[in-house]
Amino acid sequence: MKPNLASLLDYYYESMYPSLKVLEEKRLHTILTLKKAAAILLAIAALLFLFLTQNTLLKPLHAFLIVGIGGLVIFMFIYHHESAGYGSLFKDQVIEKIIHFLDPSLIYDKTNSINEHEYQQSELFLESYDRFSGNDLIRGTIEGVEVHFCDLHVEKKVRTKNGKEEWTDIFQGLFFVADFNKAFHSKVVVLPDIAERSLGVLGSWIQGMNLQRGELMKLDHMEFEKFFVVYGSDPIDSRYILSHALMEKIVQFRKKIDKSLYLSFVDSKLFLALNYNKPLFEPILSRSLLEFDYIKDYFELLVMILGIVTEFKLNEKLWSKR
Amino acid sequence: METFLIVAGVILLIIVFMYNTLISKKNQVENIFAGLDAILKKRYDLLPNLVASVQEYMVHERITLEKITELRTQALKDNLDNSTKIALEKQLSSMLGNLMVAVENYPTLKANENFLHLQGTLNELEEQISAARRAYNQSVTDYNNAIEMFPTNFMASFMKYDRKEVFSVPANERQNVDVKNLFQK
Repeated sequence: MKPNLASLLDYYYESMYPSLKVLEEKRLHTILTLKKAAAILLAIAALLFLFLTQNTLLKPLHAFLIVGIGGLVIFMFIYHHESAGYGSLFKDQVIEKIIHFLDPSLIYDKTNSINEHEYQQSELFLESYDRFSGNDLIRGTIEGVEVHFCDLHVEKKVRTKNGKEEWTDIFQGLFFVADFNKAFHSKVVVLPDIAERSLGVLGSWIQGMNLQRGELMKLDHMEFEKFFVVYGSDPIDSRYILSHALMEKIVQFRKKIDKSLYLSFVDSKLFLALNYNKPLFEPILSRSLLEFDYIKDYFELLVMILGIVTEFKLNEKLWSKR
Repeated sequence: METFLIVAGVILLIIVFMYNTLISKKNQVENIFAGLDAILKKRYDLLPNLVASVQEYMVHERITLEKITELRTQALKDNLDNSTKIALEKQLSSMLGNLMVAVENYPTLKANENFLHLQGTLNELEEQISAARRAYNQSVTDYNNAIEMFPTNFMASFMKYDRKEVFSVPANERQNVDVKNLFQK
């Protein structure tokens, strides 16, 4: 039976609801603790502010800033501490259960991620990075195709104009790796087309100059060309990988999800990155677990990810890969 | 004098740039054609095997098989020009297509392990040939654009470069498959 929303609803009430009730209590307790902490911190901050200004130790503005920032830092610390425990339980009770509902053979590891070597091998993001972190690694075989994916966050340190150091995102979102259904030895990278969209012919000329990426491939699918720019190491192999049928499927997928999509094909593997700019499987503390709609969002996200294999027909292997 | 030298230098640079662009586009076409040729060669190498393994089953397709063998012999001759190679390739593709449709009438052949393997390899080669054709067409389009667009067209006519032809898809491949018709055969 293919899991659908109706069967999830049954599963939700039969198998998940009792443990979710317990977890819901934990969530409410966490919120209560946070509220208490906020109230206490606010009271201390107000007293401290009054003390500092009454005794003219600091100017009101300075006192306000110091007390405010100090209070916020302490609150953030408490928030992280409290919500981490809840987040971990949420993953055990909700995410893992949904995954097993969808496909019991999949293995979920909430603390692990894909390794850095694979990220580099994909060549999707060539910028040098300073922090590589990820979690929620899910791996297994879907319709005979080996896949693994995780929630990935890659950042770099930049210096702002006033000399401060700041972390900026290179990529945050879903990073998906699967065996590709054709054997090949070259490399193809498909990136969102920004330059050509905004600059037209000039943009396409600039893309051609991107020596770091390799040769620019012009492909014979108009819509695909509008969404993406393709670099490859071999013109024939690139078209062997990006057949008309696959390009059409990629375009449909891109339209459906409406997010920046990055793809690469290296060493008979498909790498796919989807930019989300937020963690994928973290709970939202303010939302009740007893609302089915909230759980449904995670279900739909996972269905979409697991559906990539059939969407791109990776399970229909060509002769050389059988 | 200085201005003249600068202008002359810039013009020379532009000429060198145009010349190199045209050469690289022409070489790209040749390079991709060589790639296509290599894949076609692989398919030609496979044909004797295919013919040998099917002829004892497919008694009614003797003419198609003979035609395939003949096309292969022609295609393997040296000193063929590109357009002849392309024409032979087209004919052979359509012959093989017919043969694969005819296989449906021979259940014993369809169960033959050796034949299935050959069929799989042929299908994969067809995919590669289709990819190579598309790559070739793109490189020819780039080349044709360069020799027809201003200002490289002057340089191209000076170098006596002519337009090249792109692959056209055979008319019978362009039509949608008429499933009903297939069943009636």
